[in-house]
Amino acid sequence: MSMPKGHKAEKGYATVTDFPGALDYRAIAEKMSDDGDQMNHSTARNVFLRAMKKLAQSMHELYGLNVDENNLARTAKDPDFQQGIYEAMIDMRAESAQENQQNG
Amino acid sequence: MADTIENFFKSVGKTELLSREQEIELSKLIETGDRRARDRMIRANLRLAISIAKQFQNKGCSMEDLIQESSLGLIKAVDRFDWRRGFKFSTYACWWIKQSVRQHVASHSSPFKLPTYAKNMMHKIQQAVNDYREEFGQQPTIPEIADALGVSIETVQTILDCSASCVSIDSSPRAHDKGEVKKTIGDMIPDGAESVESLLDKQKIMPMIRQALGSLTPREEKILRLRFGIYEDIDENEFQLTSEQHEELFGSIAEEVSR
Repeated sequence: MSMPKGHKAEKGYATVTDFPGALDYRAIAEKMSDDGDQMNHSTARNVFLRAMKKLAQSMHELYGLNVDENNLARTAKDPDFQQGIYEAMIDMRAESAQENQQNG
Repeated sequence: MADTIENFFKSVGKTELLSREQEIELSKLIETGDRRARDRMIRANLRLAISIAKQFQNKGCSMEDLIQESSLGLIKAVDRFDWRRGFKFSTYACWWIKQSVRQHVASHSSPFKLPTYAKNMMHKIQQAVNDYREEFGQQPTIPEIADALGVSIETVQTILDCSASCVSIDSSPRAHDKGEVKKTIGDMIPDGAESVESLLDKQKIMPMIRQALGSLTPREEKILRLRFGIYEDIDENEFQLTSEQHEELFGSIAEEVSR
């Protein structure tokens, strides 16, 4: 379904090219289906955005921002927010790898 | 200082040069320990020392120092000259003077001292670069230089790093700033370290994100990882809070609530 006429995303959309090794929604749906969780690309997108909304809620609460559905949905789709979460996950992975190395 | 040098040049110019016979005669006297003859021989050849010192101008050393060094080289030559070999004194002295001045320039033209080997290699590299440019019309790469000189790439790289000119971090990049506060080069070098704000933000946000990620269902987490391309080595405990982080996060929230 195409976007309504006149709609323009404020900061564009995050795309798979923003994250090295990232999969698009179709590839994610295929991978999940292969692993036994049958889904199509729309479901993959909805689940991803739901996860991002959960993360957005924590951020909104931390900074005292409005936590209504529309605001959370906007933050969840924001490419800068997604980039921030991606970087945080990368940092956490590095930390975890370092800890594992130290613990032998 | 300029006047002093000027006077020195004038007095040196007045000294008469020695003929071949006079040189031999003075050399014989010097061998017997005649100090006057030695002084005369030195004074008569100071013009040679000055002319060689002038060849090394603009190499990072003052003219006064160069003349002093060339004079020391001249004294050494006077003390070691052997008239029996049949050469003119100037032919012999020239090498001693040049050697003395070169050594001074080498050890004083740069803020840090490089070993002779490094200096020689620097000179060879420069020569190889010039030859290559002349032959092929372009700048050689480091492996090409190393290959031409028969040394390792690391050696060439190290020597080239050492040959970079030094600039004081406290000097101003614009020499003609007038009436305004001068910025030094040190002020303009970017600080590669993370800012304090960013570090504090990270400290506050990271545990929060970790906690939020921990609240995702396995399905959501898997899709999130696939979307971000972080899936090759899934560690189930990666996003779990450690007891310290748990304490840090919930301790600070409890503190905020109590306020």
